[in-house]
Amino acid sequence: MKVGDIIRYIVENTLETGFPVPAPRDVAYRWALNRNIPRRGRVYLYTGALYQLVPYIDASVKSMERFGRLPGLGKAARLLSRTRLTGIAIRPRRELIEWSERVVASIASLAVRNVEGLAYLYEDDRYSGVLLYEIGAEDAFLKHASRVYAALKERGVEKLITIDPHTTYVMRDIYPKFIDGYDIDVVNYLEVMKDHQASRVLKGKVTIHDPCLYARTLNILEEPRRLLASLGYEIAEAKRSRENTYCCGGPVEAFSPKLSLAIARDRLRELASTATTIVTLCPICYLSLSRARENMSLNITIKDIAELLG
Amino acid sequence: MLNLVETIIDNEELQEALRRATAHAFESVKKILASNPQLMEMAREVKEAKERVLSHLDHYISMTVKKLEERKALVYLASSAAEARGIIGDIVGSGKTIVLSKSMSAEEIGLRRFLESRGNRVYETDLGQFLVQLEEGKPMHVTAPAVHMTKEKIAELVAEKLGANLSRQSSPEEIVAVVRRFLRKQFVNADIGISGANAIAADTGSIVILENEGNIRLVTGLPEKHIVVAGVEKIVPNLILAVKTAIVQAAFAGLYPPTYINIISGPSSTGDIEHKRVYGAHGPRELHVILLDNGRRKALSDERLREILRCVRCGRCLFECPVWGHLANHWGGNTYGGPMGILWTAVVEDKREAYPLTLLCLQCKRCSQVCPMSIPLAELIHDLRKEYVTKAYT
Repeated sequence: MKVGDIIRYIVENTLETGFPVPAPRDVAYRWALNRNIPRRGRVYLYTGALYQLVPYIDASVKSMERFGRLPGLGKAARLLSRTRLTGIAIRPRRELIEWSERVVASIASLAVRNVEGLAYLYEDDRYSGVLLYEIGAEDAFLKHASRVYAALKERGVEKLITIDPHTTYVMRDIYPKFIDGYDIDVVNYLEVMKDHQASRVLKGKVTIHDPCLYARTLNILEEPRRLLASLGYEIAEAKRSRENTYCCGGPVEAFSPKLSLAIARDRLRELASTATTIVTLCPICYLSLSRARENMSLNITIKDIAELLG
Repeated sequence: MLNLVETIIDNEELQEALRRATAHAFESVKKILASNPQLMEMAREVKEAKERVLSHLDHYISMTVKKLEERKALVYLASSAAEARGIIGDIVGSGKTIVLSKSMSAEEIGLRRFLESRGNRVYETDLGQFLVQLEEGKPMHVTAPAVHMTKEKIAELVAEKLGANLSRQSSPEEIVAVVRRFLRKQFVNADIGISGANAIAADTGSIVILENEGNIRLVTGLPEKHIVVAGVEKIVPNLILAVKTAIVQAAFAGLYPPTYINIISGPSSTGDIEHKRVYGAHGPRELHVILLDNGRRKALSDERLREILRCVRCGRCLFECPVWGHLANHWGGNTYGGPMGILWTAVVEDKREAYPLTLLCLQCKRCSQVCPMSIPLAELIHDLRKEYVTKAYT
């Protein structure tokens, strides 16, 4: 595929459907139905839909690998993506959908427990547009971000609790550079979590795969370690961890799945030699490492931190 | 570039060579910095000095020219690669034997092939660069040009090209001995030696060149003529800072202490006969210095891209980069690759050559974090990507 086509695909999808890849309209908040999180409050949980989009990103990349093209490129398919028929255009893996909804729900309950009066945005929990910024499509990013910001302001949002590194980064560090008068306070859920009562039960050894953004930009390094330790987990540090963490390869997936996979394997090998339970803190890392694992015979478990904390 | 990625990753020999090299480099730099904390302070000092020079580049260039001339060097300013080739071509002529020490600036202007095309015999003398010459390829790392070859492949290559008795089982020592024997003859016969520079001191006109192999001492010491080709950004305010620049470069390249640091201030001379200065004693009689612009001054006017001109070319960002770890300098322009190389390509070739390369950057920022000159490499690559992508889809 040509570079321009890939970029245009992401840009057009985001501007027309709100998501970078074809996905159901309610993908962001489906997990929240019947959970009775208040609709109004002072502080809002904002997922930015990244966890929830992972199954659809995965399906898009797989389609590119297998057929040399992205799913639903073209007007007809984009129309499809706006309906519940998306399943026809791309085939997300069921277990990934279940995993992402389970993790988001788990993070939400942790956040509800730790933040007084926490509300949820439901339909206004829109995708942040972070990928547009990351690939360098700044005009489109500005357009999309302005829409997201307007929706948040209309809702009266003053503070957001974010749940992944990319959304935290873009909402905290990048939106203010693009949007005049941006005044939303952005806090990552790991930063507001109180420790569990010190556990006396030892739960075994885990290794943390620090996301690049937490490690080198947002400085969220101690929180996951403290939280896991307070639950009784022993943290084994990988050879390259904390500020020196190594990328999962995810960010180049759109342009070279093969390179992305090669990097993910390097990283997974290193993590697997450290502990048999690998803890991720970012849905993209989870996806990259899980995909890398498919063709490697490793006796390991990959878990999002919320699966251990929840 | 994107089309090439698959082939590169499927090249098992290349992948294995890169795996071995990156593992070594990571550990060695870590150890050096841990046991020599003063190096970080030295790096900061060099960074500030480089910034100072870049803010007043023309001033420092004229100061350097003046001092070099006082030291009896012949100095030339070359605005482009073609002009540099022309100048060197005139100095060299044809039918000569030339020994080259690894110089990225020489590589940048395509010097070896140019001189060969003019009927000269040209030998690279840095082992890695010599292997690249035998292979007819391009350097795959800025300080470790043959990083893409395993020992086994190197043995085969040397056996084939030099007719040596080596096999895939030969040891590195055996390979080095063969090359040493071969190059000895060329050093002795060479008419001209050509080197680069790690730093040039504006206050003394001294050329500082770092090495471990010992080839540079011979390249710059044995022939009658010594030609230096170096980018104008290599100028630092004084000799102490020039030596510090070389030390920092060595440390961050994972080689500390460096085996040799050469300081060359003019052609060799003696005053031992009646106190009369005679040029051309045991070393070269002539020293020619070509100060190369080739896009550098233009880059100075680019508020962002100018930051790469501080680069000391230690190559640490390459060894730390997950993408480079699989693609080596295939992920690059004609001369430079990896994080620093994408930016250097934008400087010495054209931004358009650098643009597509930016898409493979992870933005993981390991490069920015380890750069001794605090160049925000990932951020600068992102800037280029932004310029490119806006053009690509609109």
